[in-house]
Amino acid sequence: MTESKRIKRFLEIIPGALSWLIILGLILLSMFKPVAGAVAIIVFDFYWIIRTGYLTTLLLMAHRKLMRDKNKDWLKACEQLGAGSGWDGLRHLVIFPVYKESIDILRASLSAISSSRFPEEKMIVVMAFEERYRPARDTAAALEAEFRDKFGGYLSTFHPDGLPGEKRLKGANATWAAKRAREYLQARGIPAEKVIVSCFDADTCVDREYFGCLTYHFATNPRPHQSSYQPVPVYNNNIWYAPSFARIIETSASFCQLIESMRLEKFVTFSSHSMSFKTLIDIDYWPVDMISDDSVVYWKAYLYHKGDYRVIPLYTTVSMDMAYSTTFFKTIVVQYKQKRRWAWGIENFPYVVSRFINNPDIPLSKKVRRSFHLLEGHVTWAVWAAVMVVIAPLPILLGGFFFNQMPIGYNLPRITGMLLNFSIFASFIWIALTRTILPPRPKDVKWFVNVVMVLEWTIVPFIVIVVGSTPALDAQTRLMLARYMEFFPTEKLRRVV
Amino acid sequence: MSREQKLRAGLFYISCAVFILGLPFILTYTMGYQLDRSSWKFTRTGLISLKSVPSGAGVLLDGVLFNDKTPCSINEVMPGAHHIELTLEGYYPYSSDIEVWAGKVSRMEKVILFPLRPDVKQLNKSRISSFWIDDARNIIYYFNQEDSAVYKSDMDGEHFRLAANFVSLRPSPKKWLVSPDRQKLLYFNNHQIGLAGLKQEETLLSQENQFVIEYPFDNILDVFWHADNYHLIVAGEKKVAILEAKPGAAPFTLVNLGKRNSQVFFDPKEDTLYFSDSQRAEDGKLYDNIYKLELKTKLYLFQDLIRLKSNDREQKN
Repeated sequence: MTESKRIKRFLEIIPGALSWLIILGLILLSMFKPVAGAVAIIVFDFYWIIRTGYLTTLLLMAHRKLMRDKNKDWLKACEQLGAGSGWDGLRHLVIFPVYKESIDILRASLSAISSSRFPEEKMIVVMAFEERYRPARDTAAALEAEFRDKFGGYLSTFHPDGLPGEKRLKGANATWAAKRAREYLQARGIPAEKVIVSCFDADTCVDREYFGCLTYHFATNPRPHQSSYQPVPVYNNNIWYAPSFARIIETSASFCQLIESMRLEKFVTFSSHSMSFKTLIDIDYWPVDMISDDSVVYWKAYLYHKGDYRVIPLYTTVSMDMAYSTTFFKTIVVQYKQKRRWAWGIENFPYVVSRFINNPDIPLSKKVRRSFHLLEGHVTWAVWAAVMVVIAPLPILLGGFFFNQMPIGYNLPRITGMLLNFSIFASFIWIALTRTILPPRPKDVKWFVNVVMVLEWTIVPFIVIVVGSTPALDAQTRLMLARYMEFFPTEKLRRVV
Repeated sequence: MSREQKLRAGLFYISCAVFILGLPFILTYTMGYQLDRSSWKFTRTGLISLKSVPSGAGVLLDGVLFNDKTPCSINEVMPGAHHIELTLEGYYPYSSDIEVWAGKVSRMEKVILFPLRPDVKQLNKSRISSFWIDDARNIIYYFNQEDSAVYKSDMDGEHFRLAANFVSLRPSPKKWLVSPDRQKLLYFNNHQIGLAGLKQEETLLSQENQFVIEYPFDNILDVFWHADNYHLIVAGEKKVAILEAKPGAAPFTLVNLGKRNSQVFFDPKEDTLYFSDSQRAEDGKLYDNIYKLELKTKLYLFQDLIRLKSNDREQKN
């Protein structure tokens, strides 16, 4: 094993080892040193209360910005910039990596783009199919016939299976499509500097103002090629038909993304996002062998620009499908697997830190801070629910008579109760905000679902136990044991109305 | 940096400050430490946990009014003896001394506060001399010796009404019992057993609904209903006998007792009689023993014997 591989392997072990150390350490402390265990739990509880308060305030701030920006006339704002800004010369390259998604889902995504308030002739759409999926050619032909004339350019690409150095991943397909698009643009004399590329999940339906908003931010950015542009992902396509369990998780995911949009120093691209096509070419496209291509592409750009690269939040939404299945338990499994795939983003940690080590161009403080953010975020994700739900009662249960006779034994459940009350208060804010990002209720959905959508928040404790920490812990453990995950497309159901 | 980012940074640093400054206070508080401002040293204190029934009582610790009301806990109490007083309007105050130890919880969690004016309510709507509570069916039976009447009501004295009449005994009955099926009333003094039907529309006991069985053979100590609602187990000073609940019934002796004032207990669930008696041992001395007599399985034998004895008596008559 080479030195670099040894370092990478060591870095792969760190997150999982740290999470397990915290969990097992607290369990052992609760058993053998209940006072020390209780102190650790109280410190964590207090930290969590402060953190919840801080993040909920950020959520409110981000939500305010979303409400302000989402209905703004962005095209008009671009026009007001004037010709000197160069917005008029910008082109949008939209890539949809597709695998087995149905034609109805793809049609809805393309319709959303064609309905957006931005000149269609400036749009080039690439439907990136996988050659190994046999029905892809038929789907491509049907969509091409329907949408070819609706955009300035339209391409269907078919990613060959088994190219050297590649894995069967979305990033490999998107990269293949981007290379074909580059050829297409070169043939038409369109410079990459003038192209903004958006890589969307196949089910992504953009807001009508998305491209206007994106263009405005690109055109007004002093360093447009040193930024990625991240919209707010919402899971509204099938939200009225999804089971409560899935709805709560995905709404929370949208809120987490809103919160992240306020923390610019650690903001990383997630899911559907946009960036300069020039930068994408400079960094050699998306990774072709990593599952979390959406965030790794940011880190590639960050390293390429020596740490002078950032993500600009766009307070406009892109709507995707919620992951759910035909039954409650299948939905739990689907959700669990999707969250584990998201948590597999921890593979960024060894990727980034191993490249930081011998990189003298990025200041040490930046390297330490970004590494810490990556590690802290994922480790907290893996342990928080385990600590609060499973470990917090352990000192009381295992501490014995003498511990329970001590003030700390007496006060521990009260502090934990206080945390619960605070969480309930925060959840009221989340419930209220949920209503503001919902699409209109379809006619075939009964009004009673509105009530269910409020009551369903009572199942949060159950959700916390099932998908709170375990998917992240699972992902980190796999990485720690070098049992690398394979990509699989998440099962999503959509009733096409 | 934008205004929002400045605001966020401010919020972040405030949160950090709250955490860093608040954590020592939370930890010292939960672990029972108190800062002694005179010496600027942390002193380990104790904690008092208070609960009362009813809750909501005001708390005075060593004469100083405490903010919370019961149930509550008083943290950071210096070790040593303390005086607790609980006060609640309309209730007698409760006060007690409590010892507090460093790093320990002293509990005063079983305090009952008694009302100043107890909520006493008269249930009977007519004169009564005794009562019997059927807690399984939430009925109170009231017995009026002067009027020879039985009344009944629910447990709050509501729906008070006449349930039956009975034949008076002289001297007055010393105990009242309702049969397991709640259809017959049994009462007795030393030599008489009275019976009355509680469902007046039916003749339940015999052709007569109210009657008295004379029992001159023994001094009755106790009478029990058998589970069949028809036989009576009579515990006297000299013997334990079984008796049918019908006019003129003759007792059948189950056990002759060797000593007076034996203790007798009847288990109605198992139809089993427990009694004490003396037995003379081989050494010629009397020893007290406890005996068990199961009546459930052997009742058919007694029924046959009672029937035979009744026939003998009728033939003699």
